[in-house]
Amino acid sequence: MDRVNSPAGRVFVHFVLVVFAVYSLVPFFWTTLQSFKTFKDAFSRVPVFIFQPTWKNYQEVWIRSLPDADSSVGYFILMAAVIITCLMLFARYIPLKSTWIYIGGLIGYGLLLWAIPQLVYMQKYYKYFINTIIVTVFTILTSISIGCLAGYALARYAGMAAVVILIAALAFRALPRLAFVLPYFWIGSLTNLLDTHILVIIALVAVNQPFTIWMLRSFFMDVPKDLEESAMVDGANRLTSFLNVIVPVAWPGIISTALFTLLLAYNEFLLVRVLTQTNWTLPVAISRYTGAEDPAQLTLAAAASVSATIPIIVVILFFQKHLVKGLSAGAVKG
Amino acid sequence: MKRKTFFAFASPSILVMLLLMVVPLLMALWLAMQYMTFRNITAPEFVGLRNYIEILDDPLFWRSFNFTALYIAIVVPSWVVIGFIIALFLDQVSGLVRGVYLSIFLLPFIIVPVIGTIMFKQLWEPSGLLTWIYQELTGTRFRVNETSVKTLIIIFGIWYVTPFTIVVYFAGLQTLPAEMIEAASIDGASRLQKIRHIVIPYVSSLTVFILLFSIMDSYRVFDSVFVLSELNPQFKADTVMTYTFLTAMQFQRLGKSNAMAILTVIGIMVVLVPFLYLMYKEQIAER
Repeated sequence: MDRVNSPAGRVFVHFVLVVFAVYSLVPFFWTTLQSFKTFKDAFSRVPVFIFQPTWKNYQEVWIRSLPDADSSVGYFILMAAVIITCLMLFARYIPLKSTWIYIGGLIGYGLLLWAIPQLVYMQKYYKYFINTIIVTVFTILTSISIGCLAGYALARYAGMAAVVILIAALAFRALPRLAFVLPYFWIGSLTNLLDTHILVIIALVAVNQPFTIWMLRSFFMDVPKDLEESAMVDGANRLTSFLNVIVPVAWPGIISTALFTLLLAYNEFLLVRVLTQTNWTLPVAISRYTGAEDPAQLTLAAAASVSATIPIIVVILFFQKHLVKGLSAGAVKG
Repeated sequence: MKRKTFFAFASPSILVMLLLMVVPLLMALWLAMQYMTFRNITAPEFVGLRNYIEILDDPLFWRSFNFTALYIAIVVPSWVVIGFIIALFLDQVSGLVRGVYLSIFLLPFIIVPVIGTIMFKQLWEPSGLLTWIYQELTGTRFRVNETSVKTLIIIFGIWYVTPFTIVVYFAGLQTLPAEMIEAASIDGASRLQKIRHIVIPYVSSLTVFILLFSIMDSYRVFDSVFVLSELNPQFKADTVMTYTFLTAMQFQRLGKSNAMAILTVIGIMVVLVPFLYLMYKEQIAER
């Protein structure tokens, strides 16, 4: 559309957008505020906006007993996290291959996550956090690696079989989770796999597969065909030319898809709620905080919710372009 | 690509979908014909179609179905209208400002639905911000009852999914050819006329896409309803999905809840089949 140019019109445009932004942000704003309040402030009938902020709710959500005041455990953990983050942020300026620095950094984070509960006595919430990471990472790895192969094949093969699979996948994507979850629950309780990560991961990979292959296919369609043909003329077979030539070109699309898989796995509630009894991921764990009648849980639920949202906000800040691209790719082409 | 290579590449994914989606669905069909609770989970009893008959006689099921229908009827048009309007406004700004607005607007859609619901719920606790504003404005206390819980569920539904329609319409508007608008401007069309006669017809295929997906998605709504109906357990504002869940996990009627899931599948299929047919024709045309 052509632009509104009159000053009054510009003001109106920004007015509407700001109002909508406030509307989008109110729950976040209020919950964050509540999470920093003491019990008394949080329960006042007239909302308090100026108060002495406290970290107590966050501490109570994450840590069961603080390390001794004079021990340097806390500083050690903080320093290690800061060093790893800096190394990854400035990987470009270090005269080593960036990929290795990123891999090293991720391993470092993993070691840190493993080390924290050995050093400080953590709450159960930490265990749920680790569960979420494990489930999300393995879901992404499995889902994307098999999805890439299928997405590529579906983008390149012209036969009827591809059409049938695509249409069937679309139908599966539309079906309710419960139709699949209850049979999983039944199998799980017969095989004693209930409450394990593996069952949750398998279920997540399966229910997300239709979406994954559709999205990856649309990205592989954009890769010119001559690319792998020239690689195959040079004597490489399909698989090696796919891995060495196609995947690097389609990499941004693969990242987009991985991002959506991450969100789907991180957000999943129903499936985890049915298939686990104690090994929850964060959404289920947090819903348990608020389900209780105890009003003292209110500020804790706020702190827990904010803690679980921060990783997602970081992801949006870094990958906003991929996110918008993914959302619109599915829509405009589909 | 040859047929053999195609299957070599696609087989892991096909296998996953066959074993982990088709087989469970067939199992669900079978389970729906059993009388099964947590106690006789290893030795269910075959009852034929009695589960289905029981569901169709179940007033609670119909109540949840009616609420689901109401939810769809209010939420889906709101998504389309609000999403389209905000996308038009977003189209008026550019560069960094646009990126910032887009990030903020996307937030409700990206965060964990359950956590979004909990944050929304915090606003309506007795000490919450909106409870206070409501009471100041109307002079009456905010009461948690069936109507208010259902209203909150619907408002949350609108808040949570609108970002998706904004992004879809916004992406569509970016591809709108400038010549079409210019030609209309030369003819002296007003802004509203341009929107009415050029933009809306141009994005109509997107509207169809959004309508289909949002009807199916709002039919499946679970997380937010599950959390919000806990505000006051006395007044359960169940949708079909949460009622199915409760039948399985709380009343322990696994067979009956499977039958309900199957009924939902059939319901969704009614909407889906024409769409699948369209997609099928499009796929054939592409080749």
